[in-house]
Amino acid sequence: MDVNQYLEIFLDETAEHLQNLSDQLMILENEPENEDTINEIFRAAHSLKGMAGTMGYKRMQNLTHDMENVFTEIRAGNMKVTSRLIDVLFQTLDALEEYKDTIQATSDEGTNDNAAIIKELQTILDEGLGKAPAKEDAPAEKSQGEEKSEEGGDKKWEEIKLNEEQINAVREADEKGLNVFGCTVTIQDSCVLKAARAFLVFKAIEDLGEVIESLPSSQDIEDEKFDFDFCMIVTSGEDFDKVEEAVLSVSEIEKVTGEKLDINSFLNRDSEGGKEEEKKAESKEDKEEDEKSIEETKPAVAAASPAPAAGANQQQAKKPGAGKPVVNRTVRVDIEKLDVLMNLVSELIIAKNSIVSVASGDNTNNSALNEQIGYLENVTTNLHESIMKVRMVPIETVVNRFPKMVRDLSKKLNKKMNLYMSGEDTELDRTVVDELGDPLMHLLRNSADHGLETAEIRLQRGKPEAGSIFLDAYQEGNNVHIEVRDDGNGIDVEAVRQKAIERGTVTPEQAALLSDKEVIDMLFQPSFSTAKVVTDVSGRGVGLDVVKSKIEALGGDVTVKTKLGEGTTFSVRLPLTLAIIQALMVVVSDEKYAIALGSIDTIESVNKSDVKYVEAKEVITLRENVIPIIRLRPVLGIEEEEGSDTREDMIVVVVKKGDQLAGLVVDDLIGQQEVVIKSLGKYINCSSRVISGATILGDGEVALILDANILI
Amino acid sequence: MDTSLALNTETTVETIQFIVISIGGEQYGIDIKYVDNIIRMTKITRVPDVQHYFEGVINLRGEVVPVMSLRKKADLPVIDLTDESRIVIIKLENNAPVGIIVDSVKEVVTLPTNSIESANKNSKKTQVTFLSGIGKFDNRLISLLDLNAVLAEDAV
Repeated sequence: MDVNQYLEIFLDETAEHLQNLSDQLMILENEPENEDTINEIFRAAHSLKGMAGTMGYKRMQNLTHDMENVFTEIRAGNMKVTSRLIDVLFQTLDALEEYKDTIQATSDEGTNDNAAIIKELQTILDEGLGKAPAKEDAPAEKSQGEEKSEEGGDKKWEEIKLNEEQINAVREADEKGLNVFGCTVTIQDSCVLKAARAFLVFKAIEDLGEVIESLPSSQDIEDEKFDFDFCMIVTSGEDFDKVEEAVLSVSEIEKVTGEKLDINSFLNRDSEGGKEEEKKAESKEDKEEDEKSIEETKPAVAAASPAPAAGANQQQAKKPGAGKPVVNRTVRVDIEKLDVLMNLVSELIIAKNSIVSVASGDNTNNSALNEQIGYLENVTTNLHESIMKVRMVPIETVVNRFPKMVRDLSKKLNKKMNLYMSGEDTELDRTVVDELGDPLMHLLRNSADHGLETAEIRLQRGKPEAGSIFLDAYQEGNNVHIEVRDDGNGIDVEAVRQKAIERGTVTPEQAALLSDKEVIDMLFQPSFSTAKVVTDVSGRGVGLDVVKSKIEALGGDVTVKTKLGEGTTFSVRLPLTLAIIQALMVVVSDEKYAIALGSIDTIESVNKSDVKYVEAKEVITLRENVIPIIRLRPVLGIEEEEGSDTREDMIVVVVKKGDQLAGLVVDDLIGQQEVVIKSLGKYINCSSRVISGATILGDGEVALILDANILI
Repeated sequence: MDTSLALNTETTVETIQFIVISIGGEQYGIDIKYVDNIIRMTKITRVPDVQHYFEGVINLRGEVVPVMSLRKKADLPVIDLTDESRIVIIKLENNAPVGIIVDSVKEVVTLPTNSIESANKNSKKTQVTFLSGIGKFDNRLISLLDLNAVLAEDAV
């Protein structure tokens, strides 16, 4: 069978299990006794092992196998969770993550055996059990398997009727000295692709022997005409343990029960009926006793584990239903198809706008038409919203790896710190979310490394020993805000100023004139780092500038607030969508321009006599703020005709970028409108970057979109 | 005579179709496979701070398409647009469309490849950088435009 077709499922499931493991390990670190967590980790490790095995990734399988062993013992209460163990488990997780990435890239797991981690796990296991023998774990697992087969008691395979040919096959096998088993396989009830799993089970068994017959028939199984279990008669040269192991290596298999059959009694039962059944039962009991006695001969450790393990098995059977949503009803859609749909909606909106402009141009009061337009407007707006929603994903997918990252940082930097996150369910356009991971990671690292002080200094300052980093996300209007906040040292503005002078970025005279804010903004310039020591984590000066450029490329911005000694807050603002925005249409000369509503603060009417000059620049005072004004005509290359504008008042659109404000002088306002952003294409090259795109108006005319951020 | 020769060889020699446009009295051919559309003059929205030869952008069936003036690009004197003026929409493989303003569009000609001469033989011509060759059709000579050169960014 070609396993490649399952590769995608495998990768998805692996990612899910790894994330789950990471989350659970974080919990376990704080609550080492939490049984649910321990069970959850065991299950995840077990599923991973099985999946890796099925796909033939042996190294990955080995690693998860050892992880599973450790948890088998922990579950059995034979050893305790130590912080050393947690560390190693996190390493294991990183190693597994690496396997996953390698598999994703090359569909091969690579050649890293991670022997060091495996050895460490073994050592911990041995020490935890207070024993030396390293091979102990293998029998432990086997006996657990046997235990399962006994407690199962589900002998459905007895109902299997064999035809002549199959009976002969069984007899032949017996004569050859092969073992004949009856066995029942139960698939987890959360499994979506039962038939596929069953197929893998058959496949696994056929590697070891032969499936004589199954109940339901293989055809029915293929058509998914079975509940969650099926049974079969198998002939094999191997022991049942081997068969069981092979079957369990298929993921989402709940359990396997089975036993070696006494050929004669089994084959005769049909003819002799009830009597034979009794005999059968007897022989079964014999068998069980045999097995038990075998078990008793096994090492003490092995004997200790089965009982709790069996208990956990039952728990496991109950869990899946409660833990996960039964089935996620989702459809994967190629993002390109969504883009096409999106474009169609855009066109629909343009068409709607055209009708609006035609209708409003016509003075005859046509209420029926207006009503229809209103209806069309509703439909297009709803359609637009629902398509945008399809493209929305919670930022959770990006931020859920941060707790572990901060933990790693904590160890690496030897600083105690905790990450508190809120608003993980805040949704953003998929394209934005995909790009968000790196900048946020930079900001967190920055907070951990530069922001938080060492424990001693924190204590001196009367702060709690463990530093706190907060990651808060929330939606506000058409924007999503993500704040990375720490209660650390804050930015030492003077140090930055000195650094800037040292580096020759500014002269001492210039530096003295710079406001604190301007100084802090220098941090976002390429290769500017104030950390005195370059560490692994940060300080190389490639951080904040990357953050800034990345966020700006996504149409957002970054601002900083800081108070020396108290902490720093980085605020990232991102637009909810990239394709359609609400905009204010303005007129400059005879040209129409759109300004994103998101960047507009207020619109003011300012008397010409209120314009003052500061350093030869025009400013106005607005509610006690002095804000610069920018005349759009010269910026847009429109020649000013002398005395053409005789009006006393100017229309000033006040735009904001973070805390900064600026007033744009326009000639007239048209109104608010939903505009579809179109790119100008690569041929045309706007050198001043004031134009960020274009849009098509209702009358078919093209209007340009002004990027207010560039102007400020 | 030339025509009959061309027709006779058509069966064996590959042919290329060109759209013949005129600028300042001279005729130029544009390979038809790159021509997406030819439209009448429409409202062009000026874009500030762009290359001098770009007139702005137009709305082409819901798409925003930049438009350049071939006269400005080739440093020819700029004339007023007339009823004959057209925008030829060019689409090079996998690239977004771009419009070129021409004085007029004349006709479509089919040239066998063997009647096309490569441009470097006439390297003394002034606009040689925009030409990929010269085609002979009837008794006329048609300069064939090298669109990649036309659309390339100015070195200046």
